This record gives sequence, C-alpha cells and structure tokens, in this order.
Amino acid sequence: MRKKKTILFGTLYSLAVLVFVLFALGPILWSFIMSITPQTELVGNTTRLMPVSPTFDNYRKLLSNVDQQGELFRNGMLNSLKAAVVSLIIGIPISVLCAYPMSRLKFRGSGFVRNILLFTMAIPVFATIIPLYRMYANMDLLDNLVALIMVYITSFLPLSVWLLISYFDTLPKELEEAAYVDGCSQFRTMLSIIMPVSYPIIFADTLIVFLTTWNQFQIPLILAPSKMTKPIAVVVSEFVTKSSVDYGLMNAGGILAIIPPAIIAIIFRKFLMKGIVGGATKG
Amino acid sequence: MKRKLTPYIMLAPGTILMLVLVFYPILRTFLYSLQRMKLTEPGNTKFIGLQNYIMIFKDPDFWYALSNSAVILVSVVLFTAVVGMLIALLLNVDTKIKGVLMAVAIIPWSLPPIVNGVMWRWIFHPSYGLMNRVLINLYVISEPVQWLSERWSVILIVALVVAWRCIPFCSIVILSAMQSIPTQVYESACIDGSNNFQTFKRITLPLLMPSLGIVLTSTSITAINVFDEIVSLSGYGDVSKTLMLQAYLKTFSFLDYGLGSAMTYIIMVVAGVLGLIYIRNVYKEVDYI
Amino acid sequence: MRKMTRRVVSLCCCIAMAASVTACGGGTKTEQTQQDTTAGKQGEKTDAEKTGGPSVEDGEITVMVPPWAEPSQELLNSFTADTGIKVTMNIVGWDDIRNKVSIAAVGKKAPADVIEVDWSWVGEFGAADWFEPINLTEDEKADMPTVSSFQYGDNIIALPYANDFRLGYFNQEHFKKIGMDQAPENWDDMIKACKKIKADGICEYPLSFTLSATEAATTSLIWMTMSRYGDFFNSDFSVNKDNVIASLTSIDKIVKEDKLIDPASQNMKDVEVYEKITTGAASFMVGPTYFIGRINNPEYSSVVGQLSPLLIPGNGTTKTATFALPEGIGISKYSENKGAALKFVQWYTSPDIQVQLYKDQGSIPTRTEALQELIDDGIMVDGQVMVDQSQYIVSPFPGGIPSWYAEMSNTIYNSVNQMVTGSLTPEQAYEKISAKVNELNQ
Repeated sequence: MRKKKTILFGTLYSLAVLVFVLFALGPILWSFIMSITPQTELVGNTTRLMPVSPTFDNYRKLLSNVDQQGELFRNGMLNSLKAAVVSLIIGIPISVLCAYPMSRLKFRGSGFVRNILLFTMAIPVFATIIPLYRMYANMDLLDNLVALIMVYITSFLPLSVWLLISYFDTLPKELEEAAYVDGCSQFRTMLSIIMPVSYPIIFADTLIVFLTTWNQFQIPLILAPSKMTKPIAVVVSEFVTKSSVDYGLMNAGGILAIIPPAIIAIIFRKFLMKGIVGGATKG
Repeated sequence: MKRKLTPYIMLAPGTILMLVLVFYPILRTFLYSLQRMKLTEPGNTKFIGLQNYIMIFKDPDFWYALSNSAVILVSVVLFTAVVGMLIALLLNVDTKIKGVLMAVAIIPWSLPPIVNGVMWRWIFHPSYGLMNRVLINLYVISEPVQWLSERWSVILIVALVVAWRCIPFCSIVILSAMQSIPTQVYESACIDGSNNFQTFKRITLPLLMPSLGIVLTSTSITAINVFDEIVSLSGYGDVSKTLMLQAYLKTFSFLDYGLGSAMTYIIMVVAGVLGLIYIRNVYKEVDYI
Repeated sequence: MRKMTRRVVSLCCCIAMAASVTACGGGTKTEQTQQDTTAGKQGEKTDAEKTGGPSVEDGEITVMVPPWAEPSQELLNSFTADTGIKVTMNIVGWDDIRNKVSIAAVGKKAPADVIEVDWSWVGEFGAADWFEPINLTEDEKADMPTVSSFQYGDNIIALPYANDFRLGYFNQEHFKKIGMDQAPENWDDMIKACKKIKADGICEYPLSFTLSATEAATTSLIWMTMSRYGDFFNSDFSVNKDNVIASLTSIDKIVKEDKLIDPASQNMKDVEVYEKITTGAASFMVGPTYFIGRINNPEYSSVVGQLSPLLIPGNGTTKTATFALPEGIGISKYSENKGAALKFVQWYTSPDIQVQLYKDQGSIPTRTEALQELIDDGIMVDGQVMVDQSQYIVSPFPGGIPSWYAEMSNTIYNSVNQMVTGSLTPEQAYEKISAKVNELNQ
C-alpha cells in the first residue's frame, strides 16, 4: 500500500535479502562446514572452501550413546533445557509481579525503583560472582539447579521487567476500574484482567528469558562445576583442552547447541513482535 | 489498608532476590576493593581505602584499556543501530518470505558469546580463516592477512562480532516500533509533499527514538561487558585489552583481588552512568498526532 | 473469552512441556547413570563402593582435574575396592581450575579435596598456602625427578603425574631433500638448514614457534635462551641481559629477515602452532613430549612416517637444554578429608597406575620406573630420545617458581608478541621484561 513494487525495487530487495541472509547465516554456515571437516584438513594451510573428504564423525560422536563426548554433550543440552524451563517457570511470574505494580499501581518510590532497575542491568558478572560463590559454598548450594536459576533470574530481571512495564503502560487505565468496582483485589485483577490481554508480551518475554538462560556461560562456569548442572555453553567450550583443540567437534557442538533456541525463536517470533509493539512507542 | 500494601507485597519476591543475590555481593566486592588483598600474600590483607582506585587511575594500562573499550562501545552501538535499522526496514517490506526472514534474523541471537567468538575466530583466523580463503580465491590478496595482530583491526573485528549478536534484538524492536506507527502519519506527510527520505528522517526516526532507548542501553552494556569473545579472538594479549579483560587478569590471573574488584567497580559505574544518560536524553516522547 | 481459553490452553501446554522435560530429564539421568555403570564409565555409585569400608564421611573425596587426567571408571573402581574411598571426579577446563581454586580460597574453602597443580602455579599456590605438604622418602624422590618442580620452600605441595617437557621434532623428508640425513645439532646449523629448505621451496615456513600473546610464548623464549645462549635468570633473579637480548634479537631476525616463521603464529594458540608439523606445514619445531604419541599416529598426523623426535639443538658448547612443565595433583589445605585425599594422590602417582594411564590417556609418566617399563615393553615408541632429553632438564628459575609467575609471564609474552609485530625493538622488549621482573621481585 505504501510502496509500489517496481522492477528496480524488486531487484534491490532481492539483493538486500541476499546480503542480509549471508550476513546473518554466513558465519554459521562456515561453522557447519568446519564441523564436517576432518581434523587433519582443518589445520592445514589450504585455500579450499569445502573439505576434500567431509565427515559427519563429529556429529556422530556428539549424538552417540557410547562416546564420552556424546554423553557430556547430551548432559549439557539437558542441563541447559532444564535450566531454561525452570527459569521461565520461576522467572516470568516474578517479573510480572514486579512489573505490574510499577506500571499500574500507584505507590511511593516507583520512580526510584525503576532507576535502580536500570542500574542493575549494568552490573557485570565479575562484580558479584566472588561473594556469590562464597555464599553458595557456605550454604552448600553449589550445583543446586534452583539456586543457580535464582542468579540467572537476577541477570534477566531488569530487562524483562522493563519490557513488561513498557507493555503494561500502553493498556488503558479503564481496564482495571471495572474490576475494582466489582470488589476485586488488586492481585486478582492482575490475574484475571491484565494477564489475558498481555499474552503477547509474556511470550516475547519467554523467548528472551529462554535465550538469555541458554547462553549463560560465566555464571555456571563458577557456580555449577559438576557434570550434573553444567550447561551446554560450558561443555562446548571444554572441547578445547590444553593439549588439543578439537575445532571440528567444537563447531559441531555449537551448531547443535543453536537448534533448540532457534526452534523456540522461530515459534515465538510472532509474539515477539506483537509484544514489543505494545510497548515500543511509549515509556 | 490492604490495597496500599499490595504493591509492596508484589514487589517483594523480586526485591528480596535482588537484594540478596546482587546488592549484598556488590557491597562485599566494594569492601574487597578497599583492601589490599593479594591472595599470594595471605597475611598481608589490610584496609587501604581508595588507594586501589588511585593506583588504577595512575596506571597507563588502564587508560589504554579504557580507550579500547570506548572504541568498541561506540562501534558496537553505531553498527548495531544502523544495521538493525536497515534490517528492520528490510523486514518491514510486505512479502511472502517476511516470516522466514524474521526467523533468519533471530538466529544469531541464540549463540552463546563464547561460541560466537570461536566461530568468528575461524573466519578471521590468520592463516586458514574464511576471510583469507575467500580473498585469496578471489585474487584480492596473495598472502593471508593477519587480521588479529593489529590493534585497530582486532578492536573493529570484536565490535563486529558483538554487534552481530546484538543486531537481532535491535532490529526486532525497531521493526515493532515501525509497525506501530499509525499510517495516518505517513499519509498526512505524503499529502504535505514529503518524499521517502524526508519522511524517514523527520517522522519515522524521531518516533523510533524511544524504543531505541532500551536497545541502545542494553547494547552499550553488552559492549562494555564483552569478555568471552575477546578471549576467543585474541586471548589475553595486551594489544586488544579492554577494561573487562584487565579486571579479569588482575583478579583471576594475578590474584590481586583488591585491585580487580576496584576495576570491576569502575566498569560498573561507567556502564550505569551511560545507561542513565541514554534514558534521560534519548527517551523523549514524540507526539505528532 | 475465546482469547482466555487460548491463553489457558497455551499455559497448560507450557506446563505440560516443562513437566515432561523435567521428568524426562530426570528419567534420562537415572537411565544414563545405569548405562554408565554397565558401560563401565563415569557414575556415582558402583557395587564395589556399596560393600563395607570405613564410614561414608571418611571415605569420600572429590577430585578436580582437567579432561586429559581423568582415569577410567575401571581404574577408579579398583581404587575404591582397595581403600573403600568413594571418588567423585570433577572435570574442569585447565584455565578454569585456577579460577575456581582462587575464588574458593577467598572464602577459605576448597573446590575439591584433590586438585590439579600445574608447574607454573606452584609459586602462587605455595605462597598463598593453599595446599597441604606431602612427605616423600628419598627413594621416592629419586624415582620422581620432576617432583623438584613442585617444591615450595621445604614443602612438596603436589606430586607430578604428567611429565611434559620440551623436545625437538623434525620432518626427515624435508631435511633429506636438502641432502641431510640427520637434523643439525646446534642452532646455527639448524637455521641454515631451514633457510635452505625455504629457498628450495620445500616448505614455506620451516620453523614452528609460538609468538602469540599466550603462555607458550613465554616458555618458548625461555627454552630458546636456555638452549642457545645460557641462563635466562641470574642467581639473584634478575634477567640475564646478554642472553635474553641475544635470544630476542635472534627471534626477531628469524621472523622478519629470514622469514622462517609463519606470521600467523603471532595469533595462534600453542596447539595450533605445534600441529603445523603434523600437517607437514613445518620442518622443525620444539614442542611437548606428548607429541611423541602423535607424530606418527594417523588420527592426528597427515605425515606419518616422516616425523621423528630429536634433542633440542644446542649452541656448540652446550649440547642441549630443556625445562620441565609437568602437571601434578595436590591436596587442598581446606579439605575435610586429607587422609583419604593423600591415599588417592599416592595411588594416582604410583608406577602401575602411571603405566596404565599412559596406555589409556597418553600421559607421560613421571616415575622413571614406569617410563622405563613402557620403553622396555616397546609400548612407548621413540621413547629413548625422550629419556635422553630428560637428562638435560634444568630449571630456569633460581630457587623455584616465583609466586608472581603469572604476572611476569604476561609481560614476557606480550613483549615477545609486540616485538614480532613491530611495536618494540628487541632491546625495548628486554627492558620491559627486566623492569617487570625487578618490580615483582621486590
């Protein structure tokens, strides 16, 4: 409606799409090519773009039931999935509980809390990890999945709450008034009136939380040392050892590790947009 | 009475979590930063006030690392904003493959930073990286280029790598904002005789600014905190040292926890201040209707 | 209300998915544990461990080591059967072990009872007093010569389990093509030979050497100085000016004028640099001892049959020199189970287990007895050169490895790297190194 599709536009568009896809997927494609290159070819000084004798050995190793790396890898994937799901179950309600009052209810100090929230986004991992480790070690909480999730939640809470607030702000104030007149408590109003309307942002938030948790590396590296809780990012990084760098395996691991979040992203992308639309134009 | 308390009750779980797992630790870290705490001299720990901070500011390495961090920050933010905008424009065009393109756009977001760093290392690897192979095959160069040996080359490559990871979020937010601008705005601009470029500059861009606020903040903070990718690309070398890398080296490598904690604190303050600046300036409401 | 139903349905789906994944996860975990036990791999409990032994409190330890030091499940089971001590292995990447130890130590805790100790950490760990001293008899010390690297003051803080030191490797084919059947025995001849190899077009960058800003550049500078010029440090721990400047200058010349080293080495990890020889991209290198098992192994090498180890070249008067970079395991001072930990450490470094570990993992034993057995049985091929080289192991550090090794190494490798990329002259590089060492030595 806004643009007439001329032939020039068509070609420009196709070109732009090509460049875009190359930019977004090119590196990943190269990673895949490396993952099917045998080790000896990988480090040679060649200028070939495709390996002479591609092999799916690395994938076989990672997906096998017998190989040690396969077991490590599957453990890692499982741990990451578990962590992501539990993060969502605990994290989203907490985000909503924080965002709702800051947007829809009047109370003293809401401005202050909002600014503090922004500030916490800026806190680097290293600033808190050492005292956290001490705390957890003293309380014997290392390798405890829920304890780990609590830390993850503090890392994505600011962004998550921010997005929720932006969305809630755009909902008309009248929505709750009807419920209050009927005598509903604020809590109940939130659940039965605001929530159903907010599902786009909730799903958008789900995607963001999932991706953030899936990508966690430094925090679990320190707080989750054992095999039982090690997430996939840590596992993949450990394919690089002091005495050998199995780049093929590492690339294969990286490729496989993208698959779950990519699937979630693809499924949830519609909601991502809808959710952010609501909140993007206003405060 | 109950009504007044409800907001506070709702905020309670989140607040408690943040207090215990964030504010208490950074307080402790601050305490460490006020001490002389070298782990290899365990008997020598003592309170020295702000001396660690003074030592850091006097160290020329700190300013070098700061300049690296600053360049990375500016490059990442600019690159993310510009490319994010371009991609959003691309995704805004109504075609059949729009959905697929959006999925493609999100995929770089799913990479953990460390995997991202290793992946790009293999593109810019000094002898058998993809860039070198492609350029040699196209006869542009005859010898492999040492991408990761020169300071500015490494810094810009790091910026590229981080931006690549941040662009999905940016483009989605901008896209959403674009799509929520009512069409009447454009129609009235058209009637007033504005062409495409002017429309974009005078109307679209200002309306997008507020949404850019959170994107730029989040991207800036990511850019300042970048660590895993630099280590994957160029190790712990001095040439590409950033603030974060120096803080890490001082803490975990040289075991000077006092100094390292002080550095981390400085990074935190810088990032926080930046965030506040953005929110104050970029975050203005625009009303055209 | 339709929206509401949709919402409820999606919520239920989410919960169902979550529940199934967690349940599935739990199920798979137990499945896995059973699989592990039957497949003879990593697991928590085995039948042997359940039968008697001392109380659970006394007989439980955690061991934190890098991936290549992990013993097989059968080996662990035999340990538990003999002593009744249950072992939980905590496999952590090498760099991260150090971080974990230091973070835990801030809180006066131990990340594990038995922990890996690399030779370069001995100074720091000793100064920080994180490890429990171990007592050895004189005989045992004689059988494990590398244990001297793990001495801090009067205490032995760890026992070595992997014997890494620097050894030369060369490609016989390349040298044959310029008319040499044997590789040269001193550096001057070696460099002349490499120049000829390059000039004849046999190999573009014959010399393989780490120049990146990583730890390996430090050790490379050290063995280069030691073998070609002499001591790196004077007895008062200042840097020997003549030797080090000569060494730096020669490296600079080889890189910039003779162009014998691949410029890409400025940014390559040590492993990548070593692997050049096994892909035929280099003619000569000085590398770790474990490469003995790789050079003629088709899984790692594409030039099987062409490579051979040799003694590091000397300078005519010194035949050769090298230094040791062993790895050991020690007992954490904050461990609550030191007795059990000690038993594990002794078991792990006993001769039989070392032989077994070589067969399983390729770790070079640190006990001369074990080493000799492997060579005599013909299991370790080319082992004799290694044994010969080991006679020339010298420690470059007067009085032991300093507690500030990490900071010094950081300056050294950065100086070398900046020298070859052109930001520093060899003299300036020396100045930086010397200034830093003097500063740290205060």
